[in-house]
Amino acid sequence: MSAVLQNLVNQPYKHGFVTEIESDVAPKGLNEGTIRLISAKKNEPEWLLEFRLKAYQKWLTMEAPQWPNIKYPKIDFQAISYYSAPKPRKKLGSMDEVDPELLRTFEKLGVPMHERAVLAGVAVDVIFDSVSVATTYKQKLAEVGIIFGSISEAVHTHPDLVRQYLGTVVPIGDNYYAALNSAVFTDGSFCFIPKGVKCPMDLSTYFRINTQESGQFERTLIIAEEGASVSYLEGCTAPRFDTNQLHAAVVELIAHDNADIKYSTVQNWYAGDENGIGGIFNFVTKRGLAKGVNSRISWTQVETGSAITWKYPSCVLQGDNSVGEFYSVAVTNNYQQADTGTKMIHLGKNTRSTIVSKGISAGHSNNSYRGLVRIAPTAAGARNYSQCDSMLIGDQCSASTFPYIQVRNNSAIVEHEASTSKIGEDQLFYFAQRGISNEEAVSMIINGFCKDVFQQLPMEFAVEATKLLGFKLEGSVG
Amino acid sequence: MSVATASGYLESLLQGRRQLQASPLAWFDRLRADAVERVGAQRVPTTRNEEWRFTDISPLIKLPFQPVYTASNLQAAEVEHFYLDPAAPRLVFVDGVYAPQLSTQLLNPATDSNVVITNLSAAISAHVMVLEPHLGRYAEFHNNVFTALNTAFLHDGALIIVPRNVSVDMPVHLLFIATQKEATSYPRCLLIAESGSAVTVIEDHVALQEGVYVTNAVAEIALADNARVNHIRVQRDSSQAFHIASCAVSLAQASCYQSTSITLGARISRYNLNVRLTGEGAECTVDGLTLIAERQLADTHTCIDHVKPYGISRQSHKCIVDGAAHAVFNGKIIVHPDAQHTDSTQSSRNLLLSGRAHIDTKPQLEIFADDVKCAHGATVGQLDSEEIFYLMSRGLSEMTARNLLTYAFGAEIIERIPIVSLKHRLEQTVLERTQRN
Repeated sequence: MSAVLQNLVNQPYKHGFVTEIESDVAPKGLNEGTIRLISAKKNEPEWLLEFRLKAYQKWLTMEAPQWPNIKYPKIDFQAISYYSAPKPRKKLGSMDEVDPELLRTFEKLGVPMHERAVLAGVAVDVIFDSVSVATTYKQKLAEVGIIFGSISEAVHTHPDLVRQYLGTVVPIGDNYYAALNSAVFTDGSFCFIPKGVKCPMDLSTYFRINTQESGQFERTLIIAEEGASVSYLEGCTAPRFDTNQLHAAVVELIAHDNADIKYSTVQNWYAGDENGIGGIFNFVTKRGLAKGVNSRISWTQVETGSAITWKYPSCVLQGDNSVGEFYSVAVTNNYQQADTGTKMIHLGKNTRSTIVSKGISAGHSNNSYRGLVRIAPTAAGARNYSQCDSMLIGDQCSASTFPYIQVRNNSAIVEHEASTSKIGEDQLFYFAQRGISNEEAVSMIINGFCKDVFQQLPMEFAVEATKLLGFKLEGSVG
Repeated sequence: MSVATASGYLESLLQGRRQLQASPLAWFDRLRADAVERVGAQRVPTTRNEEWRFTDISPLIKLPFQPVYTASNLQAAEVEHFYLDPAAPRLVFVDGVYAPQLSTQLLNPATDSNVVITNLSAAISAHVMVLEPHLGRYAEFHNNVFTALNTAFLHDGALIIVPRNVSVDMPVHLLFIATQKEATSYPRCLLIAESGSAVTVIEDHVALQEGVYVTNAVAEIALADNARVNHIRVQRDSSQAFHIASCAVSLAQASCYQSTSITLGARISRYNLNVRLTGEGAECTVDGLTLIAERQLADTHTCIDHVKPYGISRQSHKCIVDGAAHAVFNGKIIVHPDAQHTDSTQSSRNLLLSGRAHIDTKPQLEIFADDVKCAHGATVGQLDSEEIFYLMSRGLSEMTARNLLTYAFGAEIIERIPIVSLKHRLEQTVLERTQRN
């Protein structure tokens, strides 16, 4: 039985290939000059350059965090190239004009862009490395007043909006990697939903790290004005490389009165081989500000890739009656390490938050849930419910739970539950009795374990996630 | 807190060692010398230290109080009300100094002839063979400056040795009385439960009057195969005092440790309880109740370390926080790779009675084995409105219903104390402190 599972777990990474497109790569190294170069290449306004330089100065005074339950060699920030953009052949007017090489890449990934866009009704803002090369459905969105595109474009077309919100949820000095991102971010998505507009379709972007040894520093900013609502999807795969790649993204969400933002992620970057060589370092700062009354921010994530995941999508519940949600499945195998969780900061009255976290560790991996629930003295009537379950597959892996609960208001109610379990022999036996093979049984048990999270995902993502978990863990039980 | 003042504090504390006499036992002196060295190598922790993140002990460094070395002439009449009823074997320490006039043995000569209940300095040479492998071996002081300090000042303490297959019927009362202001006491307990033995110990920290003083206590408990120890700890120090304590417990195969710790006193208190299940099939129950008000801060850090398979641990910790008090709970459960079939549950339940009270709780799991059952839960809140409604529907006033539920919340832990007189006294305290009119 264990051999079968071993095979399943050890399936080679399917998306490991390098697209050969001529890249415009900046020389390695980080200094003020690099930042000025990025800014100049992107023809940015003066204020944004100042923002970057201020962040860089701040970053120089900071130290890499030591507290996460992860181990990795010191990152040489001077050995990374901070800018790489596919050279455009010409101005793109339609999908047909997109670099055919690029389109083939997406095909290999199983993301037929137009098919997805047309059949599923999804607008895909495709990000290839750092520069947005194709945007579909833009027109349709523009009709209802939604601005959706790359952030570098938004800097030129809507400078006031970007300037007003950039860095307000994640300040430049928030943490080491957020400061780095603020200094060197190259591109990302920008989305603005005006007052009262319900976004007619799920918005989606597709991130991909392509050039070897180029860290990708995306910056995403989503603003939902009064009464607006949007569902945003993010999916990731990366080609196979042996050197570690750093990925330090920043995502900021702002929800005004009665607005609703749902942010879903399926992350399957290259996790390194079975000996723990290579893989992406995923050090991400994601935070949503539920600024207005009755606003809602919901994070859903399925984390299966990356050698190291260090990420805490958070909600600052400032508006009265605002709602924060966090649904997460984190799967680690081989030598992967994940220290992930959330922060729910309750400031407004009657704010509510829900945390559902499912961690699965297999192989020699290390999977930690780290969460914070803070009820400020002002958060009268606040309510939190957290549930963190871990499943261990094999006796070489570990699962840890670090929930911080800080309550400063006596009318608040906070509940936290955690459990650890394994896939029992008796469970497998029960399935076998009914003629279900071990492999299928494991897949069913794991999907049952993660059901609470999967049902939060948009349909096509839920299907993808279920499959992903299936082949991620194939072979590790027994 | 500046480093200069903090290290100056440790230095001035260590000066109090001058009055300590050298021991004829080389290993004993070496242990203390090691501890002195470790004090020198460490700093007083600040809130930047993860283990002390919520507990700011900086006020302590302004209080470099020296220990008391002179025996007290306290008379029984003054402290009788602290005694257990019915009378039990008792070791009394006044400001950290053994008080033979207040202590009593009261053992049953027929069954308990070889049981040792005495002060450490009197027994150390007689029982050196038994003591040496245990004393200072469990209470780790390399990374704990307070345990290092206590060990550096080690010269006396409570010693209990329960021989093989003996079960002591009466509970043993260890009474630590604080009488002097501006003094530091270093209470020390060592309990050795040999295989198949059983004993109940009450570690009781009390104060004769209000005042600022510092208690830095260390207890070590070693359970051999199949031993059973019930450890009840009551901390009712002065509400201006500082109480820092560590207890290290080591469990051998199939032994069973039961702990109930009640925290009522001290301006700032910190209790570290480390339980290591080093033998297969060991079992522990670790319960705690913290009941604080006004500007008190009570911090409980527990660590239950499952090293071997088939261990069972049960933990229930409750805090009732009133006034502007601050309760901290950090409960760590570690399951080592070898500790398969571990069964562990933990619950942290907290009740905030006032708008200014606050709580920081962190139930923590670190699991390195796959075939285990571990669960923990934490709740913070107020009384359940449905429970209040239920009682009101039975004709109770809202106030009475609230009082009853608050009392019941705390009483659940106190009920587990097997000594009736102590239980009643503590129940009375909970009633007095939680009832509103």
